[in-house]
Amino acid sequence: MFINMLVNVIIFVPKTLIEYRYDGAIMGILLSIPIGLLLSFLYSKAFSKFPGQGLPDLLADSKHHRLKLLHLASIQVLWFSAGLITLLGFIDILSRFINPEAPKLVILSIYLAAICLIIQLPTKKVMDFLEIVLVLNAPLITFIIFKMFTSNYLNWDSILEVGTHIFEWPNLQTTAAATYVFSGYTNIIIFNRLFKEKVKSRNFIVVLVLGLFNLFTTFFIPIGFHGADGTQEYLYPWITTADSLRLVFSPIERVIFLFLMLYMSISLMSVVVHWHVALELIKGTFKDAKNKKKNRMVVILFVVMSVAGVLFINSTLLIKLTVFWFIFRFGSEIIVVVLTFLWSRRRTA
Amino acid sequence: LKSLLRWSFIGLLISSILVFLGGCGFKDIEKRFFVVSIGVDLAEDGPKKYLISLKLAIPAVNDKPSEFIIVSQEADTITEAVRIIKTKVDKEIDFGHAKVIVFGNDIVNQNMPPNLYYWFTRRRDIQKIAWVTIGKPNALAVLKVKPKFEEHPSNALFLSLGGEGSETAYLMSEFLFDMKKKFKEKGLDPILPIIEAKKDIFIINTVGLFNKKRMKLRLGPEETKLLNYFTKNGRKGAVQVTQDKKTFLIDVQKVKIKYKIYTLKGKTPFIKVTADLTGRIEEANFPVENDRISSYERAAEHIFSKELKKLLVKIQKADVDPIGFGLRYRAHHFNKDDWENWTRIYPEIDFKVQAKVQIEDTGLIE
Repeated sequence: MFINMLVNVIIFVPKTLIEYRYDGAIMGILLSIPIGLLLSFLYSKAFSKFPGQGLPDLLADSKHHRLKLLHLASIQVLWFSAGLITLLGFIDILSRFINPEAPKLVILSIYLAAICLIIQLPTKKVMDFLEIVLVLNAPLITFIIFKMFTSNYLNWDSILEVGTHIFEWPNLQTTAAATYVFSGYTNIIIFNRLFKEKVKSRNFIVVLVLGLFNLFTTFFIPIGFHGADGTQEYLYPWITTADSLRLVFSPIERVIFLFLMLYMSISLMSVVVHWHVALELIKGTFKDAKNKKKNRMVVILFVVMSVAGVLFINSTLLIKLTVFWFIFRFGSEIIVVVLTFLWSRRRTA
Repeated sequence: LKSLLRWSFIGLLISSILVFLGGCGFKDIEKRFFVVSIGVDLAEDGPKKYLISLKLAIPAVNDKPSEFIIVSQEADTITEAVRIIKTKVDKEIDFGHAKVIVFGNDIVNQNMPPNLYYWFTRRRDIQKIAWVTIGKPNALAVLKVKPKFEEHPSNALFLSLGGEGSETAYLMSEFLFDMKKKFKEKGLDPILPIIEAKKDIFIINTVGLFNKKRMKLRLGPEETKLLNYFTKNGRKGAVQVTQDKKTFLIDVQKVKIKYKIYTLKGKTPFIKVTADLTGRIEEANFPVENDRISSYERAAEHIFSKELKKLLVKIQKADVDPIGFGLRYRAHHFNKDDWENWTRIYPEIDFKVQAKVQIEDTGLIE
């Protein structure tokens, strides 16, 4: 669940937040924390009633087949597009910074080969894989962030200057972008199959602290490095910030390569988790879930869509689309969560 | 499991094919020229505006000191120059190791068009941690210097600018990303170190202060040292105290300068600067007496705060703000028109400097 937080540090959330840094980004962040927490609390509360069952299992015996189809299909689209956006964004970063001469499709196919393999594994294995990646990467990322916070080039006055715009009214874009950081909890619709116990309230405090720290890090570190007035000029504020850090005594002086290497696996996992959920949901809509032919068709559809995405969407368009997507996701997330919560209260387990 | 195996086999097959395909994107290292430093000058009486020089490292052959070539091209833009330079050499030019950018002295003394520094930040392959400097008499002359003690091309510059080799208080190095920030940030202006090229040695002990367009003020070595105390990267130097023909020097161990802006109603606004300096006496032209240390401290405090104030006023008169008083003001005020207020306040603001000097001991001699 924290993978959503980690992966969003770099690509689109900071870009959106920094764009509106004088126009209510801070209030948006502050507002997103109670919203994000409340939504995740409601959703996990709803699902904790049915330990060991995912959303498709719950709806399996539903009488309203059409309604169920609509529900699942809308969520699938959301999840698939979430993964797709991360994938496209990171492919763009990779082709820019690692090997600009290689065509994007080559990088994409390497990614897709791995992704298609993993998303078809059972949920338990995906979870294990996720944990391994997190355990391997989290310490190094923490180290980089620590180095950034202690860097002499982090100008606290710039950060405070943005901080003085706290009383601006928040706008929809920033709130939607900031709540996305918290929305990792929604993966519970599939991963609930693995959770036999109830989610403890202690976990929410952890989520609160991490989310707060994460949002302020993702927003303020680029501003501290590149100034209150100049940060929004960068296409990828975080990649540039990683490039602005100098580790004198490390084998590679430039942090950017270390950073990209870490994020290669993290973004891979993020896409995998999203697409795994989407795939499982689609499986849930089939009458016979064991039908391999159909599953394969779905995976091929995923591949085709992402190839089309790489071919037709450039990075400027992608950023514009993402902002709309954030808002769309924000709205539908609220609707889905509230409805599910009400529904689970009525239904006895 | 069977299908899993088959899938992983297909996956392996695809990725192995891709690995070979991906190889086409890379150019081998022997087909590349690595740029180590870039110089930007004004073109001398030609139809073109700028003279761009790239210093290319020639890979060392066993046991020979490494060599370099400098390729220059006059052009109206950096992009154009680089494209033409590519036609002059046989290998692909790689900017991945370009760590020093030198602007000629003439170019910074007039209004600099922003594309001159935006080009570097826009390129993805130029490190944001490249050092930006001013070259005197011009950038090309700095690139041409080849100190005898240098092992790799431009390595002497890398070491001194990075502060890994010699550590000196007279040098304020500046990274590319930081310079770009300061060109944009209202209330914080760029400082670039000036490299003077002598026959086969560099002298880096002065800095140029910029407003948002051009160099406004050049600080001498002593002023550079004082300004350096304001930054966190500041290294230690020595402070000279002269009073009644008695002179002694304090080797600075630690220095910490804080400042706070006071804008009280009805009073002229002032900036209170407090400087804490700890050090030991290194040299004196009179017999030093241990029980008079506190009087030495007083004298040092007096001189140090006077020097600091002189520097601050000089910077203020040039209407530049390298320390970031303006940004501090903006950071502490919630009004929308912070910046307009500050541009009104800054020219007439007063500085109140309070230095506190602590002499720990007098070295090994009492």
